[in-house]
Amino acid sequence: MPQGLTEAIVNLRMDEAVTLAQRMLAGGTEPLAIIAESSEAMQVIGRRFAAGEAFIPELIMGGEIMKSISQAVMPEGDEPDTEGAKGTVVIGTVQGDIHDIGKDIVVLMLRIGGYTVHDLGTDVPVEDFVVAIKQHDAGIVALSGLLTLAFDAMKSTVDGIAAAGLRDRVKIMIGGAPVDENVRAYTGADGWGGDVGRAIKLADEWTDGGA
Amino acid sequence: MQHGAEERLGDGLIARWVSGAHLHFADDEARKSYQARAQLIVDTIRLRDTGKIPVIPAATQKFAFDYVPVTFREAMTEFDKAFAAYVRQYEDTEFDAYVGPEFIFPAGMFEALAWNRVRLPGVHLPDDKSFQFVEAEYMKAGEYDEYLDDPSDWILRKYLPRLSPKLEPLAQLPPLRNMVAFFQGLPDLVLAAAENPGVVDAMKALQASGAAVQEWYDYLGRIDQELGGRLALPHLLGPMAHAPFDIISNYYRGWRGTIVDMYTRPEKMKALMERLLPWQLQYGIDGAKSLGHPIVTVYLYKGADGLMSEAQFEEFYWPTLKKLLLGLVEEGLLVWVFTQGKYDSRLHHFKEIPAGTCLIHLESGTDAFLAKEVLAGSQCIEGNVSSALLATASVDEVEAYCVRLAEVCGKGGGFMMDFSAFLDEARRENVRKMIEVAKRYGRSS
Repeated sequence: MPQGLTEAIVNLRMDEAVTLAQRMLAGGTEPLAIIAESSEAMQVIGRRFAAGEAFIPELIMGGEIMKSISQAVMPEGDEPDTEGAKGTVVIGTVQGDIHDIGKDIVVLMLRIGGYTVHDLGTDVPVEDFVVAIKQHDAGIVALSGLLTLAFDAMKSTVDGIAAAGLRDRVKIMIGGAPVDENVRAYTGADGWGGDVGRAIKLADEWTDGGA
Repeated sequence: MQHGAEERLGDGLIARWVSGAHLHFADDEARKSYQARAQLIVDTIRLRDTGKIPVIPAATQKFAFDYVPVTFREAMTEFDKAFAAYVRQYEDTEFDAYVGPEFIFPAGMFEALAWNRVRLPGVHLPDDKSFQFVEAEYMKAGEYDEYLDDPSDWILRKYLPRLSPKLEPLAQLPPLRNMVAFFQGLPDLVLAAAENPGVVDAMKALQASGAAVQEWYDYLGRIDQELGGRLALPHLLGPMAHAPFDIISNYYRGWRGTIVDMYTRPEKMKALMERLLPWQLQYGIDGAKSLGHPIVTVYLYKGADGLMSEAQFEEFYWPTLKKLLLGLVEEGLLVWVFTQGKYDSRLHHFKEIPAGTCLIHLESGTDAFLAKEVLAGSQCIEGNVSSALLATASVDEVEAYCVRLAEVCGKGGGFMMDFSAFLDEARRENVRKMIEVAKRYGRSS
């Protein structure tokens, strides 16, 4: 049975979790140790989600608790170190599409799953993906889109990455409600997911689970 | 509301809608054809086995525009061009009903108010991209009591100013509840308006926005006459109402805020949903009366599988939605329940609504064959032909899927052929094939 802070986060009791974190800080626990314990709690929620035992509200609420704890214990302006060991992912919603809910959850899932994630936001032009892949030496690119109009933008992005000579260096996944195997083939991506849980599975397959 | 033997609102509206009394028909043939289609739609929702599968469009956007072509920007600003696009699309396809540009809102309506809940083609996005809504926190977590206490005041002096910089001056008006008589309230109200040029400008912005809406309504009326009166297509999309949960999550608190509220202030959320419920019910009923349309459409957003657990659905989403559906049905109205996302685990709930009253739209994420199994004898289902399939697959693949739908879901009635979502990218030959399969099934049975 998880105890204390972990237990409060896993059971999504925000006020209690933040109060406990503040008490730990006042008692001399290092901020990064508190963040680490919180991250472990988030991993429990992530595993429950992957197993179909938890749903998007649990993930989002867990993320909100993490955010509140981070704000409460980290010195202002100091970001917790969230570098993940498994690999580096560049993610964004493709040009012309501003939907972010699915993408944001995938970002959260990948981060708690051990990846370093660079989130380029929404309505992202092809060239921004190319620049980010080079800058962060990313091995995985995740393209999000909710509109069927995003199919062409996904294809242009995959083509743009290829034109920049980076296609062999990255695995590309596309995701969003209207995406399927036909769309994957059309866009030239390497994998697809119609729900947020699929992203972490794909990433783990491509990185051998980070091993 | 007990109706007993007296005629319910919906019964009269159904008869009127099927008759096409609101249209000027090109000729008798158009009238007969319209009436046959409208009757087929009603019969199919009523689960009568007509031996036919009506084929309807969830809605078309770029798919229609490409007939001229027009861009999304033009469709929102140059209504004559978009009019031509919809007419050509429906001339070229044999649907049994139409949905027009009801969601291709006039750009001028938003632009006059600098409405910040929307990203527009030609302003924030390229001309050929669809406008998109921004979901944000327009109501703060601590404002539930304020809303519950005086909703109209919150809407006038908090919500509108947050949605539009042009309406920010409305925040400086005194609460209207203070307006009791000439010696209490009137001086404060008129002074707040007269001393603040922003309030006058806000009214001018509303007027400009209203002009754009008026032009757009005229255009929708012309479309109805052309597609209904000449092409004999009943208009499927009439009045609307919202699930209370979706109002909070889409328009007030945002999805994140709503989720936090589900865990930290569930009772406040439920109280707000109960407050919203009778207003939405009345909104749907009033809309049906004013449009003379018997089918109320309810688009569902956040209740899908995966977006919340079944327990959360039953605790938060379904109770007020169920009351809304029951209330509409009690008036004799039909309801087009437009589910979005995967609904496999929620389908059984629609059996709690009287049989043969709802038309349940299914996106491609929902298993239509499961839906048939669950809802046969309870509610009519429609949709499910995936946008991706129509955009990227071969005609043969489309045919194979649609034949399966027609044979399994069409068995015994209670099914309409339709695509999964608003249609943008799609091959015309694929859409024609989808329609042809539905018609072929009707002829062969």
